[in-house]
Amino acid sequence: MNAENVKSQMRKGTLEYCILLLLKKEPAYTSDIIQKLQEAKLIVVEGTLYPLLTRLKNSELLSYQWIESTQGPPRKYYQLTPKGEEFLGELEISWQELNDTINHIRNN
Amino acid sequence: MKKTLTVNLGGTVFHIDEDAYQLLDKYLANLRIHFRKEEGSEEIMNDFEMRISELFNERVRLGHEVITIEHVEEVIKRMGKPEELFGGEDEKEYVREESKAHTFQEEETTGGRKKLMRDPDNRVLGGVASGIAAYMGWDITAIRLIMIVLLFIPYAPIVILYLILWLVMPLARTAADKLMMRGKSVTLENIGKTVTDGFEKVSSNVNDYMSSDKPRSFLQQLADLFVNVVGFILKFFAILIGIILLPPLLLVAFILVIVTFALIAGGTGVLYHLSPFGADLLAGTPIPLAIMGCIGFILLIGIPIFALVYAICMQLFKAKPLPNTAKWTLLILWIISVALSVIYFYQTGINGWSTLPWYNFFNI
Repeated sequence: MNAENVKSQMRKGTLEYCILLLLKKEPAYTSDIIQKLQEAKLIVVEGTLYPLLTRLKNSELLSYQWIESTQGPPRKYYQLTPKGEEFLGELEISWQELNDTINHIRNN
Repeated sequence: MKKTLTVNLGGTVFHIDEDAYQLLDKYLANLRIHFRKEEGSEEIMNDFEMRISELFNERVRLGHEVITIEHVEEVIKRMGKPEELFGGEDEKEYVREESKAHTFQEEETTGGRKKLMRDPDNRVLGGVASGIAAYMGWDITAIRLIMIVLLFIPYAPIVILYLILWLVMPLARTAADKLMMRGKSVTLENIGKTVTDGFEKVSSNVNDYMSSDKPRSFLQQLADLFVNVVGFILKFFAILIGIILLPPLLLVAFILVIVTFALIAGGTGVLYHLSPFGADLLAGTPIPLAIMGCIGFILLIGIPIFALVYAICMQLFKAKPLPNTAKWTLLILWIISVALSVIYFYQTGINGWSTLPWYNFFNI
């Protein structure tokens, strides 16, 4: 058991939830999502995100459209689908539960 | 000065150094291998290419006209190596779930089966010691030390043993070979890993395979140094012997070629004048048999000499090994030449033997 490993597992577990949360506020370019996640220290390397986004899109939780960019070729612009919003609702509940459990254990 | 290539990456054209291109190409190929089982792997790859193109674009806007290997390394560090992307347990599980239909068949057939091979990456002479180390999982320096100690046994049988092993053990050329040498299963993931690892070794010009695994104690480092020095000396002598041996061998080969041409041009008559014993040797034998015998002799001596010269050249000048068909052809020709020589002596009888100059020499 090493601490780094456990920490990275924890971060990984919340990654989908965080992506959905970020996109709930406003649709975003891939590079914006990456930047925000890196600021939050949730991902270390960018490559982790692409397969994840594609998976979420294939599960119809996300959709994207190509938006013209002023600097270079058009870029993917991701947004939450209705199914994604529903999914996010479930995750919020379970996150809340998890949070409560941890707090409960901590304070006792 | 460097050669550059023009590439189209995510719809944008870039000028890229040749070495940088190779690194990027390998990186993308590895990613493709890693994502091949994933649904929508094409799309993922496109995302990667688009992003890399974006990052390169930033460089270009900063005034770098050409993408260099440093840029590519930076980008790879930023994007993550395949093994970093598939680091966690759950990721592996995910891959396994996805690929249940086509499970790792390669793993079942070749999983864990080790093969004794010569290791070209860590070699001093022929890579025999490093191959044994990889096969046994022992420390490479320990094996080399044992070999050096064994050199001091009278007549040094280790030299013969080493040469035999050198001949018998195949060289681990491909990534699959190298995995088999270490007894790792030959899966695409593993091959991908070896390729990136190998490239890092090249690109950073580090040859410190000795200290690559774990930190080594002072005593071990001392042993490494000792083995390296002895290895260098041995290598020096091996090359020296090769250089000394080459001219006489080439001379004999040259004479053989001359004889062959003389034979073709002048018929067997030439042989009577060519050597002091030629006439005796051929006396009383029918011409076709004599020709057959001559061809047999030339090939009998010529082919091993050619093989030896070629082997030395291969080591000295890094020439390519002969194609397998050529090797087999030569071997078959040599066996035929042995047969021809035997027939010749059988036909000419014991007289043939007794006419050879060294026959009398041994019977004084």
